Amino acid sequence: MTHGTSGARTVHVEGIARVEGEGSLRVQIHNGRVTDVALEIFEPPRFFEALLVGRHFSEAPDITARICGICPVAYQMSACAAMEDAFGVHVDDRITSLRRLLYCGEWIQSHALHIHLLHAPDFLGCQDAVQLAEIDRSSVERGLDIKRTGNLVMATVGGRAIHPVNVRVGGFYSAPSPRSIAALVEPLRRARQDALETVAWVAGFDYPDIERDYRMVALRDERRYAIEGGRPATSDGRQMSTSTFADEVVEEHVARSTALHARLDGRHYLTGPLARFSINRDRLTPLAGAAADDAGLGPRCTNPFQSIIVRAVELVDACDEALALAESYVPPDEPAAEVRARRAVGTGASEAPRGLLFHRYEIDDDGMIVSARIVPPTSQNQLVIEDDLREVAQHGIDLDDGQLQLRCEQAVRNHDPCISCAAHFLDVSVART
Amino acid sequence: MRATDLRPTVVVAGFGSEYRLDDGVGPLVASLVAKRCAMVRDIGPLADPLDLLGNWNGAALAIVVDAVRSGARPGTVSHFEIDVRLDDGLDVPSQHERGVTSTHGIGLEGVLRLASVIDQAPHRLMLVGIEGASFGNGVGLSPAVQVAVPGAVQLVVDLIAEVT
Repeated sequence: MTHGTSGARTVHVEGIARVEGEGSLRVQIHNGRVTDVALEIFEPPRFFEALLVGRHFSEAPDITARICGICPVAYQMSACAAMEDAFGVHVDDRITSLRRLLYCGEWIQSHALHIHLLHAPDFLGCQDAVQLAEIDRSSVERGLDIKRTGNLVMATVGGRAIHPVNVRVGGFYSAPSPRSIAALVEPLRRARQDALETVAWVAGFDYPDIERDYRMVALRDERRYAIEGGRPATSDGRQMSTSTFADEVVEEHVARSTALHARLDGRHYLTGPLARFSINRDRLTPLAGAAADDAGLGPRCTNPFQSIIVRAVELVDACDEALALAESYVPPDEPAAEVRARRAVGTGASEAPRGLLFHRYEIDDDGMIVSARIVPPTSQNQLVIEDDLREVAQHGIDLDDGQLQLRCEQAVRNHDPCISCAAHFLDVSVART
Repeated sequence: MRATDLRPTVVVAGFGSEYRLDDGVGPLVASLVAKRCAMVRDIGPLADPLDLLGNWNGAALAIVVDAVRSGARPGTVSHFEIDVRLDDGLDVPSQHERGVTSTHGIGLEGVLRLASVIDQAPHRLMLVGIEGASFGNGVGLSPAVQVAVPGAVQLVVDLIAEVT
């Protein structure tokens, strides 16, 4: 919707498609300069951290999984890691591999959905996935097929595709049979091939020529692309323990948002695919690394619009990893390690599809949760999204209001915000004076 | 078309969670229908309408069963058919009209539109709603909804018999 009065223009859009929730985006432009950008979040707080207090430690994976329907495994894995850190539990490699397989399933379904149905329409002049299917049916079908394979992995390992029920602190309630895991091999092989086609597809899109000077944070694993674990690292070379990270990330409440804003060393930072890729490119599987090369990605990627390419590369990586894990699957001797609760504090982090997800719990002698802290990716990225919008709006200042509005919406979708995890988001207004 | 698996001619999907009291009635009814009708494939329980895609392909009839909150007496069972051509759109408020949007969710209408474009829409689509009383945490149905289950199952069985 566009309002015009002498000397001032306002572009106002209600209900940005493919962006979640309840909030608004305001861009102020004065004399051709962007003067203010605010992501105003008014989604009511969900109080999950308070809900956890007084609950048994073993409930944390299932309670926190309910924070999000698209990345429940991320919440389960971070919760398990924190509890196991608190109690000094060692999880053997077979359980770790099974967790990684489950997590790959989540990445596959989440990335496939965002790339093909939510983000690609932006680059092809389509309003939504339905319009996209009308002009490029095969790509949408490919995305749905890949997503289905991700769901299959999650259902096989986790018991069901949404909010898996097989995860517990220490491992799993039951280990899948070798036969059920073997049934994943062929679908994953097809999904991997499909993902390679998706990389080639998105690499051919036109991208605004914008490079951002991000400070990036992602987990880094010694051996492989960080998914279910690793240590926090920054793009300027700093490495931390998860507990150090917990101490140094400072969250603050601002009036315009019911989601906390996170800073590290007093500075905002980016987490998510661009950060993961830029910090861990050398940890991609050879196939995914070659796909990144073919797509023209360099050692780092700082063009937020190209996050769709990075997600596609990560899709290849997740399919490749999941396939290798399925082919080499040997059930663990016991589905879960023994867990003995004690008074302790534990921290855990993993890489949700949208970025680093951090949990910290304080447990009492009876195994009850005394305090909980959860830092989801989207709240870490909120300030970066605002910065992106400032830059993107300025870069596109000569666009007409409709085009500028679309460009701003794209700038938000670049980060695939899962605002149900952090807050919600709805309206865009651009005011020119 | 990529999905070429042969599908049963009737698919039933129950939406909801068995851990949210009456929200579990959809999956329960769908599973009971599948037990009574060998030709019916139960593709639930589902939480995301997008998961209907790939399961509808080739179906003569698709039935979606879900708990609803319309203000009717708890246990009330209602049903209606959706015109799969969607010539006039669904006669339900859009996500935007209901004041919600989702980054990651595509509603039933969106799924049906998408299915139509990629030739996966069922030939007929029925919705069956069971009015719920309680959607809090926990397992088990409220008495009024529990009493309504046999009738809801029979309704779905009758709908299948009419169409097939």
